[in-house]
Amino acid sequence: MTTVRHPWLHTAAGILVIAVLLFPIYWMVNASLQPNGATVDTSWLPLAPDLSGYRTALADQGAHLVTSMVVALGSVVLSLAIAVPAAYALAQFRLRWAGLVLFGILISQMIPGIVIANALYGAYADLGLLNSIPGLILADSTAGIPFAILICRAFMQSLPPAVVEAALVDGAGPVRAFVSVVLPISRNAVITAALFTFLFTWSDFLFALTLTTTEDVRPVTLGIYTYLGAYVNDWSAVMATAVLASVPAIVLLVIAQKYVAAGATGGAVK
Amino acid sequence: MTSTLAPVRTRPRPASASPRRRPGAARARQRRLVAALFLGPAVVYLLLFYGYPVVQNVVMGFQHYTISTFFTGQAPWAGLDNYREVVGSPLFRTALLNTVVFTVGSIAGQFALGLGIALFFRRRFPLSGFLRSLILLPWLIPLIAASAVWKWLLDTESGAINRVLVGTGLVDTGVPWLSSTSLALVTVIAVNVWIGIPFNAVILHGGLQGIPDELYEAGALDGATGRRAFRHITWPMLRPVVTVVLVLGVVYTLKVLDIILGLTGGGPANATQTLATQSYQLSFATFDFGQGAAVSNILIVISLVFAAVYLRLNRRAVDE
Amino acid sequence: MGHRCASTTREGPPPAAPWYDRPVSRRAVTTAGLVAPLAALLAGCGSTGATGPRTLRVLDTYTNDPDRTIIGGALAAAAAEVGVTLERVSVAGDSLIQRVLQQGSSGTLPDILMLDNPDLQQIASTTALRPFDALGIPTDGYTDGVTAAGTYEGRVYGLAPTVNTVALFYDVPALEAAGIEPPTTWSALREAAAALTRGDRYGIAFCGNATYEGTWQYLPFFWSNGADERDIASPEAAGALDLLAGLVRQGHASTSVLNWSQADVKDQFVAGRAAMMVNGPWQIPELSGVEGLEYDVVTLPTRDPATQAAVAPLGGEVWTVPATGDRAKERLAAQVLTRFLADDSILSMAEQRFTVPGRHALTDAFLERRPEMAAFADLLGDARARTAQLGPDWPATATALYTAVQLALSGQVSAADALREAGEYA
Repeated sequence: MTTVRHPWLHTAAGILVIAVLLFPIYWMVNASLQPNGATVDTSWLPLAPDLSGYRTALADQGAHLVTSMVVALGSVVLSLAIAVPAAYALAQFRLRWAGLVLFGILISQMIPGIVIANALYGAYADLGLLNSIPGLILADSTAGIPFAILICRAFMQSLPPAVVEAALVDGAGPVRAFVSVVLPISRNAVITAALFTFLFTWSDFLFALTLTTTEDVRPVTLGIYTYLGAYVNDWSAVMATAVLASVPAIVLLVIAQKYVAAGATGGAVK
Repeated sequence: MTSTLAPVRTRPRPASASPRRRPGAARARQRRLVAALFLGPAVVYLLLFYGYPVVQNVVMGFQHYTISTFFTGQAPWAGLDNYREVVGSPLFRTALLNTVVFTVGSIAGQFALGLGIALFFRRRFPLSGFLRSLILLPWLIPLIAASAVWKWLLDTESGAINRVLVGTGLVDTGVPWLSSTSLALVTVIAVNVWIGIPFNAVILHGGLQGIPDELYEAGALDGATGRRAFRHITWPMLRPVVTVVLVLGVVYTLKVLDIILGLTGGGPANATQTLATQSYQLSFATFDFGQGAAVSNILIVISLVFAAVYLRLNRRAVDE
Repeated sequence: MGHRCASTTREGPPPAAPWYDRPVSRRAVTTAGLVAPLAALLAGCGSTGATGPRTLRVLDTYTNDPDRTIIGGALAAAAAEVGVTLERVSVAGDSLIQRVLQQGSSGTLPDILMLDNPDLQQIASTTALRPFDALGIPTDGYTDGVTAAGTYEGRVYGLAPTVNTVALFYDVPALEAAGIEPPTTWSALREAAAALTRGDRYGIAFCGNATYEGTWQYLPFFWSNGADERDIASPEAAGALDLLAGLVRQGHASTSVLNWSQADVKDQFVAGRAAMMVNGPWQIPELSGVEGLEYDVVTLPTRDPATQAAVAPLGGEVWTVPATGDRAKERLAAQVLTRFLADDSILSMAEQRFTVPGRHALTDAFLERRPEMAAFADLLGDARARTAQLGPDWPATATALYTAVQLALSGQVSAADALREAGEYA
């Protein structure tokens, strides 16, 4: 099923699919190399690259990139720590309240972000959590935690019950069974959840906008937003920042993807 | 209500872990403790970060909540005024219809293309892993940048897409992707599909990875290959993941805001106005926060009804 | 990005009035109850603290250069004279009101606040601002438009040092090649747009998008033709809207004007895809930097110049003193603004930013330094404030106006029907 007859033909088709999908991103890179304002008659290739967008971006956004990375990784850790055990409990324990909790999680996904952001602002102002990394990590996890619970639970439901039972019969407590049996088996689901939690946080703009008021803690999405003024839009800097910001994240994604593949081929479940 | 969610389960619960059979208060207490340990933090977090805002929003929908309220703290009770007002507005029906079309169109496109890509990348060929990881790239691009790029690409005269179409002689003059009242919604849906493909493709791919190869090997012996293998093995095994992807996809799509504001601002002539954009504009352009909250509450109820109906139907399908 | 103004220093982490100074809302109490355990968990992680007695917090939307530095410089100079330190935060324009509301609800309003002028009356109506007469900030000598924009119920709550509006930019060689003069009447505008449309160049570009920018660009035609925002479904309003709709209908302006922001319009003009454009003086610094672009600016045409004067909508940002409850700081803020709004300060900002002084008396001195701004200075003498008639009710009408623009420009209905239909939203 997974081996194919004409591998390179598949590669060619795969490249075509990705090329079409990523064309807007190519265009973004292209625009980032144009002089600012030349957004109308952009040429197909950046034959005369203008690096002023990158100069602006590098000078302004370096620290914001670090902030984004710290917040995103922090949010991944927090989300997984809270969500994975919960997902396991919801998938495998027979709990009276499980349905209610799941229902709550589902509802939580329906709440427009702006509603949460506005409520949190008031709370954060009272608690001194504005302009703080922990504050942003907590808020950004609102996307990651329910999502990770739902995803991990969907995967964990298909765990063969025999695996866990065997561990329990062997005398392991539920906590140890979880750590040493369930977690390794569910690596795929956990990494997928981690990946998306990272992406949710990395691309968060709303919480960055509402919960930070100074430049002390400023994620890169908000840094980009400040290039859009009431009177002047610095598009080449916006695009250059977007390109720069995606480089570290791409590296992370490629690494994570490798683990997803490895988890699958490892055949732990089978 | 709880029963509506149970069907996500596809297989019977574990034939119950052995401790449960043994009577004894100590065991039961330990079990409760473990459950609290596993589930407690998540419940506390959800109550703090979702429960509180939701309650606030529901209350706000029943108040005359204006710009003054932020400074004076006074929001007179409005009963159902806000709801009467927004539902009675001529814009509501347009926005509701657009929301349905936008959501159905986006989900159909995202899911079909996402599943196709997931199935394709399930095969192993040179560079497949690397190419697959690139699918996530659109997600790394801040929406502000993405919507600006799409706006340029789709410009009637100078956009790259129209330059190709006109250059190859497919059309005589540029297609007014975003400025025609009949095309704009379709165009915005297409851009939203582009944004949603990574999510669908990656989650579905993860689900496909979880299907044991042995099933296909056994199926092949019975003559189930190709399309039949998909229908009898892949689809049923993928079902829990499909449920999550579709339910979350719809729920997320219903509240899509940035991309519409970035591309069209709800125009031309309200052709892309949805409940989400209407709620945003009521709150932050005309400063009627009560009405804005009313619209977003209506949106939440629509989400809820959809999820309940879908999960119930899904359960029936599984049971059959 | 570093600190915005070199002379400011930050005294400790950001602001929060001491808890005992703030109104305790029911919401705050609930919140505290809900989140207290969390706070205990994170104690010490957050940044709290108050600013010193001689540090004032400033909030504005000048996120980009050159404005960011120019305004920063003027603020810093004023602060230095008064002997206070400023802690300035600039947020993106779209998010300012949201930020102000949040700060209002949590009792953390800045000491000096910039607002876009159509928002002033809304905010003033909530008692969030201090009237200038109570603070002793001089309010005389400003143009009627500036005073009207800054006044709520008879008292001035904010003033704009410099103002702007829109006018007609045109490509000089293109008009010369077509052998036409810059249009001064609507019919001349239509003819010029027709004559200048050729190949992939349109005769004219303007902004008709579904935001307040679309409203803003429609207003000069609307007002010059004698229409009144208190009754938008008038023949005068329809005439003005039909002018714009006709340009699109005839193919002399792109249908994309429905989506273009004013910045997009400028990009089209720079790329040579429009021979004329409606835009504001804030584009001048960038236009001047474009090689090979030869442009000039004239007043927007009126239907019948013999009987109609061009009426320009007033644009620009007003500066205010929020009611923070700290009387001493309010007084200091008033001193800073008084200095910030002094003649030399205004003139320097006007010159650097290509905006026109908000005070009549400075016009001549300004034109000596910026003769190319004559068309704008002329218009702004009696520019009209958008909120002059409707006050805090303006946003609803502004929404109706851009809705009408969109309906008419997309060719769905006639201009008159568009205004009638859109009026239902107001």
